[in-house]
Parts: sequence; C-alpha cells; structure tokens
Amino acid sequence: MTLRDTSGRVRTASLATALATAGTLALSGCGAGGAAAEDELTVVVEGGGLAELQPIADLYEQETGTTVTLVELPYDGLYDRIQTELGSGSVSFDVAALDAIWLSAFTEGVSPLDDLFTDDVKADLFPGLVSEAQVGGQYVGMPIFTNSEILYYRTDLFEDPQHQADFEAQYGYPLAPPTTWEQYRDAAEFFTMDTDGDGQIDLYGTDVKGAVETEWLATVSQTGEEHMVLDPETGEITIGDAEHLEALDYYTSLLPYAPAGAAQLDWAGAQNLFYQGQLAMMRFWGHAYTQTPADSPVAGQIGAAPMIAGEGGVAGVPGAWYLSVPAAGTKQDLAKDFIAFAYEHNELSMDTSLGLVARISAFESQAGVAGRENYPAILETLNSPATRARPATPQWQEIVDTVLTPMLQKAVEPGADNAALLQEAEAQIEAILE
Amino acid sequence: MNGLETRRRSTKAILGVMLAVILVLYGFPFVYLLLTSFKTPSEAIAVPPSVMPNVWTLENYVAALAKEGVVPALINSVVTAVLSTLFSLVLAVPAAYAVTRYRTPSGRVFVLAALVTRMVPTIAIGAPLVETMRAMGIGDTSFALAIAHTTISLPLSIWLMASFFEAVPDEIEEAAKMDGASRLGALWRVVLPVVSGGLAVTAIFAFLASWNEFLFALLLTSVRAQTTPIVIANFQTQFGLDWGAMTALAAVYSLPVILLTLVLQRHIVAGLTLGAVKG
Repeated sequence: MTLRDTSGRVRTASLATALATAGTLALSGCGAGGAAAEDELTVVVEGGGLAELQPIADLYEQETGTTVTLVELPYDGLYDRIQTELGSGSVSFDVAALDAIWLSAFTEGVSPLDDLFTDDVKADLFPGLVSEAQVGGQYVGMPIFTNSEILYYRTDLFEDPQHQADFEAQYGYPLAPPTTWEQYRDAAEFFTMDTDGDGQIDLYGTDVKGAVETEWLATVSQTGEEHMVLDPETGEITIGDAEHLEALDYYTSLLPYAPAGAAQLDWAGAQNLFYQGQLAMMRFWGHAYTQTPADSPVAGQIGAAPMIAGEGGVAGVPGAWYLSVPAAGTKQDLAKDFIAFAYEHNELSMDTSLGLVARISAFESQAGVAGRENYPAILETLNSPATRARPATPQWQEIVDTVLTPMLQKAVEPGADNAALLQEAEAQIEAILE
Repeated sequence: MNGLETRRRSTKAILGVMLAVILVLYGFPFVYLLLTSFKTPSEAIAVPPSVMPNVWTLENYVAALAKEGVVPALINSVVTAVLSTLFSLVLAVPAAYAVTRYRTPSGRVFVLAALVTRMVPTIAIGAPLVETMRAMGIGDTSFALAIAHTTISLPLSIWLMASFFEAVPDEIEEAAKMDGASRLGALWRVVLPVVSGGLAVTAIFAFLASWNEFLFALLLTSVRAQTTPIVIANFQTQFGLDWGAMTALAAVYSLPVILLTLVLQRHIVAGLTLGAVKG
C-alpha cells in the first residue's frame, strides 16, 4: 500500500490561508467604509432617520466644509448602543438622534442645549415639544422632526352617496370624517360590513392595536387627563384613575368593528390592513399619508383629519426625535453648531421619505399645498391643548415594555376586566419606580 | 411479498412523508422570504399574505442594493467573517489537539471552562469590549469585530475540533513519528489532513456565527465596519417596515453562505461522519 503524500496540499492550503489572512487583516484595519476623518461630525440616527437628516448634512458640509457622517442603526438597537456608550463615558459619535421617550433616561449623559432655546426658537416649536425637550430644568435635545397620530379615512367610502344616505338614515347626522369618540364609533360600526355578499365581513370600520401603547395613551389624553400613566413631578401614578379606565373602555369598545387579532396588531400590521383596503378608518402616524404604495387599492382615496376628540378635546401623542450632544463628546461646539444649523434648515426634511419637520412655521408654510394634506391634521393635533408628551421618567421604556403593552394585550382579549388590569398595572409601575 | 417486507415499505413511506413535512416546515420560511423579495411593495404587505408573487419584480433588489452603505456592509461582513473564522481555527486547533492528546485533568477543566464562557450573555461583555477596543485604538474596525466574534465561535470550535481529533487513532500519529516526524509535524502533515472534514465543519460554524451576529456588530461598529445584519435591521424603523427591500437584502446576504456550504458539502459530510464508526 502506498501512502498519499499530502504535504503538497497542506503547503498550498497554508499559503492560501496566509495570503487570505494578510489580505483580510489589511482590509479589517479600517473596514470597507473608509477611514474616518478628523474634522468630521458623526451623527448616530435611527433606521430610517438618515434620510431625514441627509439634506441638512449635505448643506452643512457645503457651507462649512465639515463632513457630517450619518450612522444609521436599527431603532431597537439604538437605545442599547447609546446607553452603552454614554454609560462608558467614551462615545463614538458627536451628535445622537434620540427618541422623545429616551430623553429622560439619557439626561445625565448629554450636554445642556439651553443657549439654543431662544424665545424665537421656543415660539416656533409645539408646546409639547418644548416641554419634552426640557428635563431636570435643562434643555437636552433639539427636535428635528415630530410626528403625531392623525385620522386616516377612505374618501371613496365617505364620499359615496349611498353610504352617506344610509349613514344619515341610521345615525341621524351626515356622514363625515369623525371628530369625536362617538362619531368615530358610529362610523366604525357603519363601515363594518360584508361588501361582496359572501356572508363574511371583509371591511372593518377601524383597527384596534394591542401590541403598541401610544394610541391608547392618546385616548387617555383625549379624556382630559393631564398626566398619562404617571406624574413625573410628584411621582403620583395615575394609571388607576377614572380617566384611564374611561380611555381603556372606549379603546376596547371598538373591538367589534376591528379585525381579529388585536392583541398582536402593531403599527406595521395596522398600516398593512389599511393599505389593503380592509379598514375604512385608521388612527396612525402622520407621515404615512405620503407612503401609500402606488399599487394599493386605496391609493389616491385617502383623506387625513386631526385626531379624534374625547371630553378633553383633540389629542395625540407627539412622536418627536431630538438631536443631543453627548457630554463625553470631544466636538461640543461643532456639534451644537450643527444642531443650530439643523433647526435653521428644518424645512429641508420635508422632501424626505417621512416628510416630517419640527417647526410650526415649516408645517404652516405648506398650507394648501397638494400632497401635504396631512400637515394641517398634524398641526391641529399637536397644537391642541389636550395633546401631551409622554412622562419624562427614565423608566418609561421599561414601563412600556413590561407594563403598558402587556396590559393592552390582555385588555383586547374577550372578557377582560379593564379596571382590574389598570390596578394591576399601577402596582407594577409602583414596583418599577421603587 | 411477505408481511415483513410490506411493513418495512410502510415504515419507509411514513418516514419519507415525515421527512418531507419537516423539510417543508424547515425550508418554508426561507422560500417565503425569497418569494416575498420578488413581490411588489403592496403585495409584500398583503393581508392575508400570498405565497407566490402575482407580479414578479426586481424592484426590491434594486432598492435594497442602491441603499447607501449596503455594498460596504457586505464587504465588511465577508472580511469580518473570514477573519473570525481564521482566528477560531488558529486558536481552536492547537487547543483541541492538546486537550485530546495529552488528556490531562487540567485539559478537561479547560474544555469545560471554554464551554461555560458561552453561558455568559453577550450583552454582559459588550460594554467592556467596546471600552477595550477603543482603548486599543481599534474601535469600529472589522478586526475588532472579528475578535469579538471569535469569543462566540471559539468555545464551540474547540469542542468540535476536540471531538474530531478524538476520532483519529493515536497509532496514525505514532507511525508518523516513527517515520521521523515531530509531534507538530505529525499534526500538520498527518492528523490535519485526516480531520479536514472536521475543519470544514468547524470553519463553516465559525463563519456562520460571525456572518449572522448582530449585537457585537451593533455595539462595536459605526461608520467603517458596519456589517449587513445591521443594515438589514435598519429596514425596520420606528414607524414601519420595508418588507420588500428587507427580504431582498436578506436573500442576497444568504447567498454566499449557501454557496460556501455547497462547495464544502463533501467535506462537511465527511466531517460529520468522522468517528461514527470508531470502535
């Protein structure tokens, strides 16, 4: 028997491995993105947020010569990344885009921006945003864009003469985009129907989202409640009061007019249902108005109106993003200069994928402009006195993840005891805050 | 045909059906991902969803590949995964060889300890790793990320290689030594070629561990070394999810791994059966 000589193969493999190692090591030193320049600003943004800031970053580079590199990170991971870096005191970015609900959690790790909040700046921002930007007596973030839930409705359904006649005959008032809880429930009930006569309901009046909490929080504000869930100033937990129960009762009263599976329905799911033509109305973030797929059966047949009102009036929840400067950052002045520039040129974010801005003047400048019909609805909702920001408490994200969302998911199940669920939530929040 | 033969055929048929069902269940998510990547944006989010696209389009691929940062991220993923695989093999082979050949109590403790490190949550060492890499001046590099990924793949690489070395009879090495080879020479010229299938399996495992890793990539990279899993996740934003582009990029990203597995298929099978008949 002759043994095969494998040494040649091993030598070849060794050489190939050595070459691969050398090449890979050379490439790995900097990464394919290229080496970072010394005089550039690094701005970390959430997935999708890059597009919002890119036009501003481009203009800034053009006017100042400073390169602004936008680093996009997934929304779900951005919080962890920023928390890790701020906690370590060593940061890889000069500016961070922060979700409104994170501001209070990161207050200690970011620099005050009080000098940027002049009277003119404050006058051109929604009151809810100005109060939200201030944590512990200091302004910690400059809003770059804001969102709010508004009401979307199918114009083909609401403007149909037959529907209009039937609705008026049934409810005693003309069919129109609803402005109140009662009108919304009536319209939801009316449009929940079998449109093709096969005995199955194929059009629902509304959706009910159980997997996200913000819409219920807006409903809480619509009751006139001034402190959704808790009052961060006094530490009082309000989730067990009558207004929260009223909001939860109303929220779940819409279940008969919504598709099954509410407990798992989140933003993306609701949006899909609406775009597929399965919902007559939807309460959703204002940016979605410009994102209807061209091949959607409801494309070109969507109307936008302010969020509905309860006893307390029209109310939404501001969904703003803020630019903040990490206290450990080494380019403090440059970072603040960029933030001031971003505020000054806020209108550049209009023509981006989300198409959202933060300044009132930027929203108002689009009055009557075709394709911007969502702006007046956002403007009216955000300017409403009942619209309130979410509580500025560092534990807010934890409260949402471990208390509010699970509570809502139980509330949308048949036979749920809303009062008991709110009491249970109150005890859980108390434990978290302790 | 007797009863025994009939029973044997029935059992075979039932097993075949079960295998087919498992295969479909296992493969369906990927097939669905692939089909979704060819749907129009509206069809991609249809409720209820359809399996086959009504209109086939490459729109999602164009959108995904045109997105800024996608191509550099793909290159970074390759560089990081190759490097991490090399690190894992270079460290795991001598470690596993020493443990299996010297058979000391400390070696057994070492192997156990190596596996215990897998029980530490990744996030727990994330922050210290970020600090360490920055202090070393290698933050946001594929090199640093590859080192981090090696901490994931190395313990199991050692275990895998140890099991493959165990299957190689000592006599083969002793014969090589009698022919004048040193221990290292015997390992290099005789043992490693014998366990080449095992090396391929370990390499694929280490490559995949790095290729799909998310958390370290999220914490350790920013501008220069961001890998594709982060870019894919960026299609999910706070306000929505771009299913079409996400599935398109995920399909593209899975291609190299599928090709690699196909190329090394023969070695993998050999590696998986290595030692199966050890008597």
